[in-house]
Amino acid sequence: MIPESLRQELQRRVAGAVTPREAAVDVMKELQRHYGWLSDEAAEEAAGLLGLSPLQVEELATFYEMIYRRPVGRNVIHACDSISCWAMGGETLLRHLEQQLGIEAGGTTRDGAFTLLPCPCLGNCGNGPTIMIGDRLFGPVSPEQAGILIHELQRHGAD
Amino acid sequence: MPIYNPKFMPKLIIDDITVEVPEGTTVLEAAQSVDIPIPHFCWHPALGKAGACRVCAVKMLDGPVRGIQMSCMLPAQDGMVVSTTDPEAMAMRKGVIEWLMINHPHDCPVCDEGGECQLQDFTIAGGHGIRRYDGKKRTHTNQYLGEFIAHEMNRCIQCYRCVRFYQGYAGGTDFGVMGRASMVYFGRQQEGPLDSPFSGNLVDICPTGVFTDKTARFRARYWDYDLAASVCPHCSLGCNITPAARYRELLKVIARRNDAVNGWFICDRGRFANAAVNAPERPRQALVDGKPVTVNEALDVLVLRVGEFLELHGPASLAIVGSPRMSLEGNIMAARLCKLLDAGALSYVGDAVQAERTMGAVSLLASGNAASLADVRQADLIVVAGCDLLEEAPMMALAARQAHRNGARVFVVGDECALDGARQELYESQAVTSLSDIPLTEAKRPVVICGTHPKRPDTAPLMAPLFGKKGLQTPVKFAFILDGPNAFGCALLGREHDAVPLSQAFAGGAIKGLISFEADLPAELTAGITVLAATDWQPTGLMQRAEVVLPCTAWVEQDGTFINNEGRAQRFKQVMRPGLPIKGLDPAGHPPRIHRNDAPGGDVAPSDRVIAMLIQRITGDTPVDGPLSGRWEGLRSLDADGEGKRLTDAA
Ligand code: SF4
Ligand code: SF4
Repeated sequence: MIPESLRQELQRRVAGAVTPREAAVDVMKELQRHYGWLSDEAAEEAAGLLGLSPLQVEELATFYEMIYRRPVGRNVIHACDSISCWAMGGETLLRHLEQQLGIEAGGTTRDGAFTLLPCPCLGNCGNGPTIMIGDRLFGPVSPEQAGILIHELQRHGAD
Repeated sequence: MPIYNPKFMPKLIIDDITVEVPEGTTVLEAAQSVDIPIPHFCWHPALGKAGACRVCAVKMLDGPVRGIQMSCMLPAQDGMVVSTTDPEAMAMRKGVIEWLMINHPHDCPVCDEGGECQLQDFTIAGGHGIRRYDGKKRTHTNQYLGEFIAHEMNRCIQCYRCVRFYQGYAGGTDFGVMGRASMVYFGRQQEGPLDSPFSGNLVDICPTGVFTDKTARFRARYWDYDLAASVCPHCSLGCNITPAARYRELLKVIARRNDAVNGWFICDRGRFANAAVNAPERPRQALVDGKPVTVNEALDVLVLRVGEFLELHGPASLAIVGSPRMSLEGNIMAARLCKLLDAGALSYVGDAVQAERTMGAVSLLASGNAASLADVRQADLIVVAGCDLLEEAPMMALAARQAHRNGARVFVVGDECALDGARQELYESQAVTSLSDIPLTEAKRPVVICGTHPKRPDTAPLMAPLFGKKGLQTPVKFAFILDGPNAFGCALLGREHDAVPLSQAFAGGAIKGLISFEADLPAELTAGITVLAATDWQPTGLMQRAEVVLPCTAWVEQDGTFINNEGRAQRFKQVMRPGLPIKGLDPAGHPPRIHRNDAPGGDVAPSDRVIAMLIQRITGDTPVDGPLSGRWEGLRSLDADGEGKRLTDAA
């Protein structure tokens, strides 16, 4: 259950949109921020807020790769595996990330700090290879630079 | 929607043939118009284009666009030179089919779609015969979607037709497309029966075997079916269907295209509510006082008993009862029988209010003002009054939705808005209390849809001012929802032969006995009346009470005519031979060891034949004219594959 204040805020945003569907991404992202991921409960709540069926919310949720329908770590790393980044060494970069985090692409570290997700295109094709950590976009990124970024996050996480 | 100039007709050349088409026509449709087929999966005439499957590639040799193009996405333009046989285009189509087949299971031998599968046809047509891919195939988990539709997602080729139909065309919200990594899944969020009353169309519209008709699962192949052009008997709209049968068993019903009526689709009632045809309890044996006899014996007894009855009580005490569920032919013959016996009453309807409203509707529909379902789909303003469309005429609700999707405004008049169950799901509507609240003068193609159900408020006084109303851009067209597939035909016959509603006929107290043909009458109405004989293929209360029981064929077992709610006469053809389905017979008795010309349980005739045989017996052996003679002569040549013939227009 989301807090009443969040519910009211979201209701306000839905009412302000031209069509409720238009507010769907906004609502899903806020619910995801609250729960850490878009849980089944959150998907139902989104449907209620938007006047859509749960299936219609699922359609949208599974369309956007930054809406997570499974629990994820505190930091989600998206590594582009589409053609431009792949041509610039994206595959090597992804392997490095896997090694450094000790997980396979798609997995989450045991401590729940990181989830590593390959994804096709982060819209940064001119600066491949690209990764995105949380809301921040990086590129071009060498394996060494990626290592430093993760180290920093690990240090912060330990604070 | 782009606005096209209807007068401008682009001229293009496709495979050396010059084609002229209205502006806005796609190259794919232009090719089809001169019988050049171009393979396609995602494009569908009722759903339009999606550009998802890439299989309709053609090569543009000259003109405003050049090179390989998707013919479904490209509007035909002046000066285009198109080749469908260009090697580059053929190679592209072959490549696309090969990649679609990469993940498609090679399970045609155990797939119900096999033989009626577009993917099969186009794979072969495209020249992809040998699999080169030997990797693993993508697999999915299937869902339980209810008792009517089987789900096999591995067969999906991602054409998006299903979701475009289900949500877009039909307004369903519980089925759609979900993604995960590189996979897309067409199904429900959680498994369960599909909600939409039009869900069965998924079976027809999916170009491969993801959705198949569960009720006919693993029963027969396309080339085994008995198929014929038929008409749905489940409401007054007369949607066109192709029933498929085998071994005297109705297996399934497929929608049949009629652009003037149902378009490409039918509702789930029309598709899935036909178990009665195969039902073991269906009457198939002629009976006299409960004892099995041959049809001839039953008719002989009936002639005797009718004679006795008339002698004892006089002709005025006999009623002949036809039915809006029976073919026009049967009802014509019922009128003739009534005349021959000089019976006291001819009746087609039980309820007086129903009869009056139907009669009123039929007399209001005249040349040009009857709205077909196509007119409803194209309307720009729709008024619904006194009916629950989803309940009484589901495809009418779907037609109204199409108008609504194209911008039509829908108004519901009176305080009976709650009755209009369709409005919540299929279209938004505005409730108004009187006609004056509706901006009819702004409409170019207004249609008014009215119910006639006796339990609903009478809409006639409300609607009367609309007929011949002045000051409109276009006269209003009307659609009435009637009670039964041949209610219109019965009203015409009723007017011609002075039929009366049965309740009214009984009111005088003179009627003591009746002979009924495929009639559905409430038990209280006929209490105390002798049922001399009843003819039906359904085990109605009248059939149980009748002294002489004469079973008849179901509509799929005979040729006949129904006149739908707009006055459109439509021919339906015999699909299968009558008789007990082989499935369900005692295996020891099959094949039969004794020679006979008819199948077990097959000694039944269409109602009009039953009446003709009766008339022949009564009059001596003079041959009886066929039902479609005299004023009905013109319907003899009616083509079951055509759009039907509107009697309101002919008048
Ligand atoms: S399920 Fe059938 S209709 Fe739907 S996308 Fe797949 S192939 Fe097309
Ligand atoms: S709308 Fe009526 S005629 Fe059409 S398929 Fe459904 S029940 Fe049959």
